[in-house]
Amino acid sequence: MQLYIDSAKCTGCRICEVFCSFKHESAIQPAKARITVLAGDEPGRFIPFTCMQCARPACAEACPVGAITRNEESGLVSVDANECIGCRMCVQACPFGAMSYDRDRGIAYKCDLCGGDPECARMCPTGAIQFLREEVIIARRRKTGPAMLKRAAHLIEGE
Amino acid sequence: MFPYKGYAGRYLRVNLSTGEIQTCELEPAFAETWLGGNGFGAKILWDEVGRDVDPLSPENRLIIATGPICGTLMPNSSRTEVITKSPLTGIYGDANVGGMFGPELKFAGYDMVIFEGRAPEPVYLLVEDDRVQLRDARHLWGKMVSEAQALVQQELGDDNFKFATIGPAGENLVRYASIQMTPNRSAARCGVGAVMGSKRLKSIVVRGFGKVAIAHPQEFYDIAVQAHKKLLQNEFYKPVSRYGTAGLVTLMNRMGRFPTKNFQMGSFPFADDISAETLHDRYFVNDVGCFNCPIHCDKVYRVQDGEFAGAATNSLEYETLGSLGAGIWNNNLASIVRANVMCDELGLDTISAGRTIAFAMELWEKGILTGADTGGIPLEWGDYNTALALLEQVAKREGFGGLLAEGTRRMAALIGRGAEQYAMEVKGQEIAAQDGRAQRSMGLAHVTSTRGADHLKGFPVLDETGYPSEGVRRYGTQYMPEIVDPLATRYKPMLVIDGENFGAVIDSSGNCKSGGTFVLAEIYWQEMADAIRTATGMDMTVERLKTIGERIYNLQRCYGVLHGISRKDDRLPPRFKEEPNPSGHAKGQTFDVEPLLDEYYQLRGWDVKTGIPTRAKLRELGLEDVADRLGIA
Repeated sequence: MQLYIDSAKCTGCRICEVFCSFKHESAIQPAKARITVLAGDEPGRFIPFTCMQCARPACAEACPVGAITRNEESGLVSVDANECIGCRMCVQACPFGAMSYDRDRGIAYKCDLCGGDPECARMCPTGAIQFLREEVIIARRRKTGPAMLKRAAHLIEGE
Repeated sequence: MFPYKGYAGRYLRVNLSTGEIQTCELEPAFAETWLGGNGFGAKILWDEVGRDVDPLSPENRLIIATGPICGTLMPNSSRTEVITKSPLTGIYGDANVGGMFGPELKFAGYDMVIFEGRAPEPVYLLVEDDRVQLRDARHLWGKMVSEAQALVQQELGDDNFKFATIGPAGENLVRYASIQMTPNRSAARCGVGAVMGSKRLKSIVVRGFGKVAIAHPQEFYDIAVQAHKKLLQNEFYKPVSRYGTAGLVTLMNRMGRFPTKNFQMGSFPFADDISAETLHDRYFVNDVGCFNCPIHCDKVYRVQDGEFAGAATNSLEYETLGSLGAGIWNNNLASIVRANVMCDELGLDTISAGRTIAFAMELWEKGILTGADTGGIPLEWGDYNTALALLEQVAKREGFGGLLAEGTRRMAALIGRGAEQYAMEVKGQEIAAQDGRAQRSMGLAHVTSTRGADHLKGFPVLDETGYPSEGVRRYGTQYMPEIVDPLATRYKPMLVIDGENFGAVIDSSGNCKSGGTFVLAEIYWQEMADAIRTATGMDMTVERLKTIGERIYNLQRCYGVLHGISRKDDRLPPRFKEEPNPSGHAKGQTFDVEPLLDEYYQLRGWDVKTGIPTRAKLRELGLEDVADRLGIA
């Protein structure tokens, strides 16, 4: 299962940030949410952004103490808070900026998919964030992908 | 230590004359008595801004206050309240706004900011958690809202700040100037932007990394999730989330409640040209949600072609389609988009701006205004290019715009020659897009509002389109069917009073009246009391919350009384009584608010002859000192 993000449906309401932070911090604190709504390149466009749960996680490769591991079965990349030494190598290594550092606790933290039922997907009112099986995600992309190709072909023919 | 959660527990006091900034701890008793938002603001105005203070003088206060629900899990918890003595009405004034600003202020660790004094040179306030500074804004003065904000972002090297900014209209003390808050939402009414301008405060710029703690996390979470679910299932969720408030154009037009040509008519024959459906089909780009709001009634629209191509705007509301559309006989939708952009950039209330122009157009029609008054500009109905030019003139107080910038009531007095006959205002504030001839409760709400003509204080929506299921849920079967019938007067004082008291609580909590409390009507006294109790840890019950709402509303009224307000001021323009509504369901209807007022005052426990709260009522609300100061026997 993966987070499927359809940013065209995002309204920028930040419900995901609110509920994510509450789940993990027992308080409302978007600054510590594991998901962030970024501003798009024009007014009214937003991009919910969180950890990609990479198959070859740069954060894990950078971790000097092996505190970051990937569960082969679920695909979840997680930080072991007991092992983490707070060196922030992972924060540097992540190509997306999805790893955060908690100054109060002295450890790195990131999206943990809420243990298999992510709050962001549960609460998103528009379906911009959903938690789905890879096969379903790919099938959905195929629905829109070929349509785009067709449009492109049509444009080329039109010329 | 402040004992309650939900609040940040601290607030800022900024003296702009001296540059002194104080961080103060919130008093528990103050929070218990006044809750937040407009409760806080009303009490501070009452205590600190006396009768003789000119609204545009340094002695006035500009209060920006959130509440205990703002920035929490509850849906629509985005709202911020701006409170001040209004330069438009001279009495209690407030403006309520959504977006992202209020929650950010709380994450920075403050429930409220109180400004006093006047900066020697233009400044902006930077708030980044504990770092609070007044900074030079001379280079921002005169700039449009978005331009000023972009410059600050550049200066601070970060685009995550949330803004509350005035445009040229606020700087130039236009009496209905707005404060624009991220992302382009307007705290628009009562001229709050002019007070900010009078203080030479260009912007408040906030970033917060902290948290809002909750007293009973699991219970509060369950209540909030339930509320989110109920909103998504509500019968009005689909239309409101799709069309926003613009969806009302078609409905209100059919009812004869869509003021046209300065309220000469209740329906606009070209309403289809400016309806939500047309707007959506032509210009819709995307939905935009305020903080933690699933309804996303805000939208981005962009005009693709024609003379206004490129005009793009947030939040083009029903009110603006009314004031800068039907109100001035304008069916050019693209020009309304353009007008909305201009108002947001110049920092103008679209309602008062449009209604003031409509007033001037009627005076032109009647021959009361001529080219000699307007600098040669003809004010023909529907001439949107003139309207657009006037918006700019108003904001800069240039030419005829200088007169319009004073608002309808002052304009009427300055023009004379019988102009006041057509001045569609109550207590100096322009009436928005409702009409008591087509909806009795709204007519009453216009005069009993504590901030001058206003639909949002009483906000009687149950009888707007008829909402029987909620009418029964809220009040029981005994008031049906009149309570949901727009033309019935029976039970309407009760409906309006309940709305005013509940609305005072919502505007003090940081929740939204356009969200789940009134428009989608899922969150009512019980739900709100539960939310406040579990979020804050206060011993909150429905009874106590009702008392708080009533107390806030009474104090706002008493602030008016302090300034000479009484029953004589609770009146509508003569047009509603004398000219029958010519169209729609309300065809042939007139409206006289007088008979409803007796019942309203009685139910309120106010003196029926004067409309002033009685000592007994004020004592019951713990406001005997207010009765003393007003000399109420």
